[in-house]
Amino acid sequence: MAEVVFDGVCRRYGATLALDRVSLTAPDRMFTVLCGPPGCGKSVLLRLLVGLETPDAGRVLIDGQDVTDMPPARRPVGYVPQSFALYPHLSVRDNIAYPLRLARAPAARIREQVARVAELLSIGHLLDKTPDTLSGGEKQRVAVARGLSREARVFVLDDPLVGLDYKLRERLMADLKTLGAELGATFLYAASDPLETLTMAQRLAVLEGGRLVQAGPVEEVYAEPAAEAALRLVGFPRANLLAGRRREGVVEAGPLRFAAGGPDGEVLVGLRPEAAGPPGRGVAGEGVVTLVEDLGAELVVYLDCAGEALTLVRLAEEGAPAIGTTFRFGVDPADLMLFDRATGLALGRARGREAA
Amino acid sequence: MSWRRSLYHTLLWAVALLWFAPVAWIILSAFKTREDILATPPKLIFTPTLQNFVDLFNRNTSFTTQFLNSIVLSVTSVVIAVAVSFLAAYAFSRFKPRGTNFLMFLLLSVRMLPGPAVILPIFLMYAAFGWKDSHVALVLFYAMFSIPFSVWILKGFLDGVSIRYDETGRVNGGSWAHVIFRVVLPQVKPGLIAAFIFNLIFVWNEFLFNFVIGGVRTQNIPYALAVGTYSDGGLNWTFIAALTTIYLVPPVLAIYAFQKYLLVGMTFGTVRGEV
Repeated sequence: MAEVVFDGVCRRYGATLALDRVSLTAPDRMFTVLCGPPGCGKSVLLRLLVGLETPDAGRVLIDGQDVTDMPPARRPVGYVPQSFALYPHLSVRDNIAYPLRLARAPAARIREQVARVAELLSIGHLLDKTPDTLSGGEKQRVAVARGLSREARVFVLDDPLVGLDYKLRERLMADLKTLGAELGATFLYAASDPLETLTMAQRLAVLEGGRLVQAGPVEEVYAEPAAEAALRLVGFPRANLLAGRRREGVVEAGPLRFAAGGPDGEVLVGLRPEAAGPPGRGVAGEGVVTLVEDLGAELVVYLDCAGEALTLVRLAEEGAPAIGTTFRFGVDPADLMLFDRATGLALGRARGREAA
Repeated sequence: MSWRRSLYHTLLWAVALLWFAPVAWIILSAFKTREDILATPPKLIFTPTLQNFVDLFNRNTSFTTQFLNSIVLSVTSVVIAVAVSFLAAYAFSRFKPRGTNFLMFLLLSVRMLPGPAVILPIFLMYAAFGWKDSHVALVLFYAMFSIPFSVWILKGFLDGVSIRYDETGRVNGGSWAHVIFRVVLPQVKPGLIAAFIFNLIFVWNEFLFNFVIGGVRTQNIPYALAVGTYSDGGLNWTFIAALTTIYLVPPVLAIYAFQKYLLVGMTFGTVRGEV
């Protein structure tokens, strides 16, 4: 059992509040992904868990034990930093064995463990090389191997795939997922790429500006964002957020007009690009096509709706609309999410089926 | 294209040889008799003799002491300076204390003053403390004079070593000593060697302070050269040539052995790929 709990942690650097009362639980044996824009505090949160930083307030618990002030070496945490930080003066074998050597593990144990993680990451053939002769992907594997060679119950990976080329990322993502399942440990993983986030996560925690926006199972965060930031920061292409107004149960936002009960006020209307369909699905809208990206199976259509930009995903078989033409679409009202414009919190959905 | 390249190389060789001529002259002279040295036109073909070196060891009784002093003073003080500078540079690079830039400037400003400008207060201080003619005191001074430049070189190198290395060491249970000496130090070896060589050359060539705050027991070779030159009436060319030739050997060997690190050192560690 190794449940990780952050209990109201704060961390301040000079005038900037990097973490503002973040409380988050990463359940045992789960792959928890932290996502958010750069500088949102996800790295700091992981560094608190590793022990490279101490929170100004709040506690960090691993398996119920308070580790807030415990030196990093005594925490059962394996760490893969953002940059590989492989020691150039050591061979790959010695790099992987490094945490074990420091822990004064017996030589036989080290050999066995290095062989095991090397096999796990299929880098057995690289063991006698030095890091400067490895490719980017190989270095990354070695860095992960070094992080995993430690006898830990929690593994922390701080955006380990950043800067790698796309194909390699895909492969390593798959490998890391399998690895997580095999090791049966708790994983915390910071990701900056929206696709990586959704691919890797079992549980997802969305951070913005040092605050926790939403945390939960990844499907739940994707389907039911509790705040506009959760909608905006999760998913690819980026979700649409249209500024609008609700008056007497009718919401008007950009090209959309639909009924949604509730008090009057300023709202944000959220719509996932992939939720839009052909015309005739309840709420109708249209806009002028400004750009079309053909992704093979799908088209990403960028529209200009009287000044409001809108992104939609359509099936490629519908055919790409010409740029400059008017494009009509329909949206199921159940896919339209409403957020309070002042607080960003979710207000529910436009459930009715009435077309405007 | 090829003839331009050859011309270019010829030119480089010509300049190099021109610069090397005085050195060649003094080395050749070391193997000449007094008459051959002073002959006009200069003799390029002559019968080499080792008599000058024999005289140096036999007649000049303080030579061995002076040679040993030069080695002991320069090596000891530079080793101390590099060790202290490495730790100081590590602190500046990693902990970035308030006013780091100003402190670094202050440190270097010690070396902006020419030696003669500081010789008087230093002399008075050494005289008052009774530190004149003491190896330890002279080593202390040379170390002090070598530290600023070494800190600058080494800070450049240390800034090039990602702090992630330190963190990886600490996370896995490394002590500070482990992180500093086992994780970071191996990665700045070129910087350490560059700082070592640059300062070695400085102390090896140092005359003024050795002359003023040193004494009979601490004389080094520059002192011997300066004082011994006129010692038997006229200019003692055979003595100068033989002593200079021996004097050249240690730095030339040191530079030859470490030349690949020196090139890196001269860029102050700014050209480094991250691994």
